Amino acid sequence: MEMLVVVSDLSYRYPDGTAALNGVSFAVAAGERVALLGPTGSGKSTLLQHLNGLLPATAGSVAIAGITVVPSTLRDVRRRVGLVFQDPNDQLFLPTLLEDVAFAPLNDGVPAHEAAHLARETLAELGLAGVEHRAAHHLSGGERRLAALATVLVSRPAVLVLDEPTGDLDARSRRRLVGLLLRREETLLVATHDLGIAESLCRRGVVLHEGRVVADAALGDLLVDRALLERYGLAAPLE
Amino acid sequence: MSFRHVDQYAAVVSPVTRTVPTARLLGTVTLAAGSAALPFGAWMPLAVLFLAVLLIARAARVPARQLFIRTTGPFVLVFLASAGLLVLVPGEPLFTLGVLKVSSQGLERFAFVLGRASVALSAAVILVSTTSFPELLHAFRELRLPHVVTASLGVGYRLLYILVDELERLQRAARSRNAGTGSTTRRRLLVGITAAGLSRAFSRGERTHRAMLARGYAGDVPALFSQSWDRRSTLALVMLVLLVGIVLGGAHILS
Amino acid sequence: MAHIPDGFLSGTVMVGTAIASGAALAVAARRSRRDLAEREAPILGAVTAFVFASQMLNFPIGAGTSVHLLGGVLVGAIVGPWSGMLVLFAVLLVQALLFQDGGIASLGANTLNLSIISVGAGVLLYRWFLALVGVGDRRRVGAAAVAAFLSTVLVGGAVAVELAASGTIPIKPALVVVGGGHILVGVVEAVLTGAILATLLRVRPELVTVSAGARPVSRPLALGVAGVTALLAMAAGYVASTRPDVLEAAASRLGLAQQESVGATPFGDYGAPASGAWAAALIGVVVVFGLGWVVVRLLARGRLRA
Repeated sequence: MEMLVVVSDLSYRYPDGTAALNGVSFAVAAGERVALLGPTGSGKSTLLQHLNGLLPATAGSVAIAGITVVPSTLRDVRRRVGLVFQDPNDQLFLPTLLEDVAFAPLNDGVPAHEAAHLARETLAELGLAGVEHRAAHHLSGGERRLAALATVLVSRPAVLVLDEPTGDLDARSRRRLVGLLLRREETLLVATHDLGIAESLCRRGVVLHEGRVVADAALGDLLVDRALLERYGLAAPLE
Repeated sequence: MSFRHVDQYAAVVSPVTRTVPTARLLGTVTLAAGSAALPFGAWMPLAVLFLAVLLIARAARVPARQLFIRTTGPFVLVFLASAGLLVLVPGEPLFTLGVLKVSSQGLERFAFVLGRASVALSAAVILVSTTSFPELLHAFRELRLPHVVTASLGVGYRLLYILVDELERLQRAARSRNAGTGSTTRRRLLVGITAAGLSRAFSRGERTHRAMLARGYAGDVPALFSQSWDRRSTLALVMLVLLVGIVLGGAHILS
Repeated sequence: MAHIPDGFLSGTVMVGTAIASGAALAVAARRSRRDLAEREAPILGAVTAFVFASQMLNFPIGAGTSVHLLGGVLVGAIVGPWSGMLVLFAVLLVQALLFQDGGIASLGANTLNLSIISVGAGVLLYRWFLALVGVGDRRRVGAAAVAAFLSTVLVGGAVAVELAASGTIPIKPALVVVGGGHILVGVVEAVLTGAILATLLRVRPELVTVSAGARPVSRPLALGVAGVTALLAMAAGYVASTRPDVLEAAASRLGLAQQESVGATPFGDYGAPASGAWAAALIGVVVVFGLGWVVVRLLARGRLRA
């Protein structure tokens, strides 16, 4: 099968010398939905930032649709990988929602009226029609999360990468988000420590611990392995 | 100083909002500069400009009450700042307040400064009441302000709301721990919060930068909106400039 | 009165200051790009938001009054002088248009004072002091505090000159009241700048020490400038005290001293007997520079012992 995301032997050290990733390898096929599991500090966010070249690999490599991530391919890679950050506020930085969503196409050289059209369409797809001219601080937490999603979906990425997508959402907004994501066709990579959301979105789970892949299996099998979940801080030990 | 009103502009359709934002901004600058450039003692021309502002407010459907309330705050500041003129301007003493002598020239200049300020303030309030921040930003771009200024303002606008939220949370957290009863503690607390605010603003800026890069940002924040000037805007602006020009010219010839 | 409202300045002063500010900002825009490259918009956006938010926090200074941070030296020390000027300008622009804080027609003058002079002179002084006293956290804080004080006093002087050149208030009372008022504001600005910088050096030291576009000033150059400044100030003070009419004449030629009439000025007898405000101001400059020097050295020495 054609592998869309290939991470091979990826290592990363922060400038201060702390090792964040230690030889991470895994691959994701087109159309797959994979949960990247691990507690805070396991290296999930660092790994995600390598997927579209925000951090340079210290050793090893990342390839997206056969394109190895190096400075000269960043443009192509970033068009294919839609990265949704943990805090939607980081992603919604312009005075109106429409400008936020049109930001990526405009950077890609799409003419303004076409970019605005694409942005409107994407917002409508996510049920956000009618708030295009509002600023993000006038939206609810759930709407803001969807808007952040819209800012990357507008470029029709091949793979959608979400970092803790349900962090601050109430039950209803979570359901809405999960429903929306399940209906989409993009390959999905979800980093989370929330096993519930992983279970409702993904079939496969990759467990990351201290910068290493310690398990890569069907999610159903992982979730019943109590010992494993406890060992890697994904579930509290039963009293 | 509260900033939240800026966002609550009423999207009332009026002859003023039908002009392009750039024309509204330039009109405001024309009125403010025109009244500010009136020579001291030109009371009649000042009255003409004030009347013009009131008529524009009426055309913009800004209620007189709102105009009054919104100008009051800044007006008080101008009042306090210009009170010094009463005693600092030399002239024939009119009466004395303790050791301070109020001169008649000082009184006249004080009143005139307030008059000029009222015209400028009212014009600015009409601008804020009819123009949203994104529209204003668009006007800045059209007026060829440095890209870095418009881009920083665009990003800064959103960050301001986020930052103020964070600062308020910090302040609440400090209060809930019973900090800040004495004025020394309060000062220290404010310094701490300001410093925390600066470091948070930076972290936020860096995270935003990453989120921008992830979406193909290469140094320019491209503009989405473009608005072409229409004849109505040009005509309105030209008429206003002519009016202010004539009033100003007349005032300088008369004085 | 840091932000000059509309109504106080004459047309000539408004146009003149606007042209000067515009030219300076044009240079700043080009240099800022060179310093920050594509990090410019998000970082300066964040700093703009910070300055805006911090100016909404009022610091009580007693007697029911409060002041807020101006931020020229603080911002300039972190993002560099050119970017700092643009940040302060962006703040002033929005304050004038949306909050009527500072006039629209006097935006040029306010930009000249609070952006160009406050940041430009402030950072120049800050880097100069740093070159004189050497590098170190406490020296940094001391240098920034003294630079913040002096740049605020300079801003006050600029406001006074602009008011006088507009014929709104004669130069002498303007300098005494407006300039003097800024000495008080300057003290607060110095304390705030120092305290915030000290806190920042603890939590995010890299922000302060890796300031953008900073070229180190060489120590001999810094000492040379210090010597020349002191000599100039002393010479000017001497001239002013022996021949008071020279500066007065210069002032009247510049239109600063017009409309002065004796008798009704409430501050008619405030100055030193022979020389008036000019010599007083210049002697003040010397004293302040001397004090600044001593303060920075003391802070630096305290650090060495600690």
